[in-house]
Amino acid sequence: MTQASEYEGSARRSASSGRGAKRPSFPARVALYNRQVVSELRKVIWPTRNELITYTIVSVVFVAAMVAYVGVLDYGFTKAIFAMFG
Amino acid sequence: MLTAFGRAFRTPDLRNKMLFTLGILALFRFGSTVPAPGVNYQHVHDCLIQNKDSSVLALVNLFSGGALLQLTVFALGIMPYITSSIIIQLLVVVIPRLERLKEQGQSGQAKLTQYTRYLTVALAILQATGIVALARSGRLLPCTDSTGAQIDLLYSTSVFRIITLVVTMTAGTAVIMWLGELITDRGIGNGMSLLIFTSIAARFPSQGTDILRSRGTATFIAVLIAGLLIIVGIVFMEQGQRRIPVQYAKRMIGRRMYGGTSTYIPLKVNQAGVIPVIFSSSLLYLPQLLGQVWTSNHTFTNFVAKYFTATDSWTYIGSYALLTMFFTYFYVAITFNPVEVSDNMRKYGGFIPGIRPGRPTAEYLEYVLSRITLPGALYLTAIAVLPILALHFLPGAAAGNNQSFPFGGTSVLILVGVGLDTSKQIESQLMLRNYEGFLR
Repeated sequence: MTQASEYEGSARRSASSGRGAKRPSFPARVALYNRQVVSELRKVIWPTRNELITYTIVSVVFVAAMVAYVGVLDYGFTKAIFAMFG
Repeated sequence: MLTAFGRAFRTPDLRNKMLFTLGILALFRFGSTVPAPGVNYQHVHDCLIQNKDSSVLALVNLFSGGALLQLTVFALGIMPYITSSIIIQLLVVVIPRLERLKEQGQSGQAKLTQYTRYLTVALAILQATGIVALARSGRLLPCTDSTGAQIDLLYSTSVFRIITLVVTMTAGTAVIMWLGELITDRGIGNGMSLLIFTSIAARFPSQGTDILRSRGTATFIAVLIAGLLIIVGIVFMEQGQRRIPVQYAKRMIGRRMYGGTSTYIPLKVNQAGVIPVIFSSSLLYLPQLLGQVWTSNHTFTNFVAKYFTATDSWTYIGSYALLTMFFTYFYVAITFNPVEVSDNMRKYGGFIPGIRPGRPTAEYLEYVLSRITLPGALYLTAIAVLPILALHFLPGAAAGNNQSFPFGGTSVLILVGVGLDTSKQIESQLMLRNYEGFLR
């Protein structure tokens, strides 16, 4: 595997190889960038179905528990304050 | 993983940390309920019922957990702290003297933290003055009693009382800052994010019942399902990583062989986490805050009211999206330094297969990171902006401030992001303990 093959397209190589070479036009560079983004995105490891389910459950449970905790606290505090000042 | 929560409570060290964090959060909520001195609690309570969700400061109120409009000791919440840490981090890039401080390591970092704290106090004074001025003139919660006379939120408007109020709120912000740092140091999770999390969680029940009451059960269930789908989407995106393989060279030290292992550097698609959304939404409320300074018919106030207070105006949505994109790139750039990572790798004899160590490695990391962050930034922007758009175009959608909507993208993103981070930290601490116990 050569070094250049790690990069999608040849932007890096032409940038360093020749000063005389003409710089590609703006739309061409945007298109290249987009292709590079897509190719990197393909190498991303997404969570498996199992992981997705576990993490979703964990975060829902965590959020629900915290909402309940804060809710109980707020209810108590509001009652107490109201009794004092209201 | 769910049983981990139960096991976590049986590990003494971890239990102490969790109880400590919960205790701090309880203190935080307590301060958010106690009215500041000189505030007529009964009147505030009546006025809050009168103008339920018509307030212009709805987003700030959401981030302070409803404490702002109640004029409590912790009325300002951690917003000043967040704003000042954004400003300092931006200034580090701009001002060479601060950049040198950052490069000094530990002592420079301490100095920067100190600057952040000073700036927080300055911002808190500004903001407290603004809020108190609003409360005094009756524009914070405009409401009238049965005879049509205006209800005063404060007992007295003498200079001494006003100064006491401003000082109390500023001190409250300083205490919140300290609480946040205590959580980061001795508890579990990141203090700043957990405090915001708590504030948003505090608004949840009341807003949920609001929807249930005003729109009926069907809408409520639909909103819950939509929320669940958004949560699944967020979890999916947060877990996606680009793994860059790293190979360690074998080497002999004395008679033992070291290295020869292969690992990877995980680059998350959303490397920045929830911080960019918090940053951009807290920056966007600054014009609102400035607009409050002048009386209601000033040109600047009108301009702000037209373009930045109404969350469904195109200027608001557009600048929100742009700021979120900008902060995603910005935050990735300041938290992940490719040069540092590649230097570290080279020091321990690691390399990425096919890439030479040193500068090419740093360039490669930079290349991957900048490309993988684009989808991340787009995702954050979409989560933040789409719910506003959806509510805007859906028939029968409520007018008014959609940002304070409990299932609005920003708040769900913060809730789920912080929840995921914190439970992962608990999990990893548990692993540490259990392996220790297992080996002994």
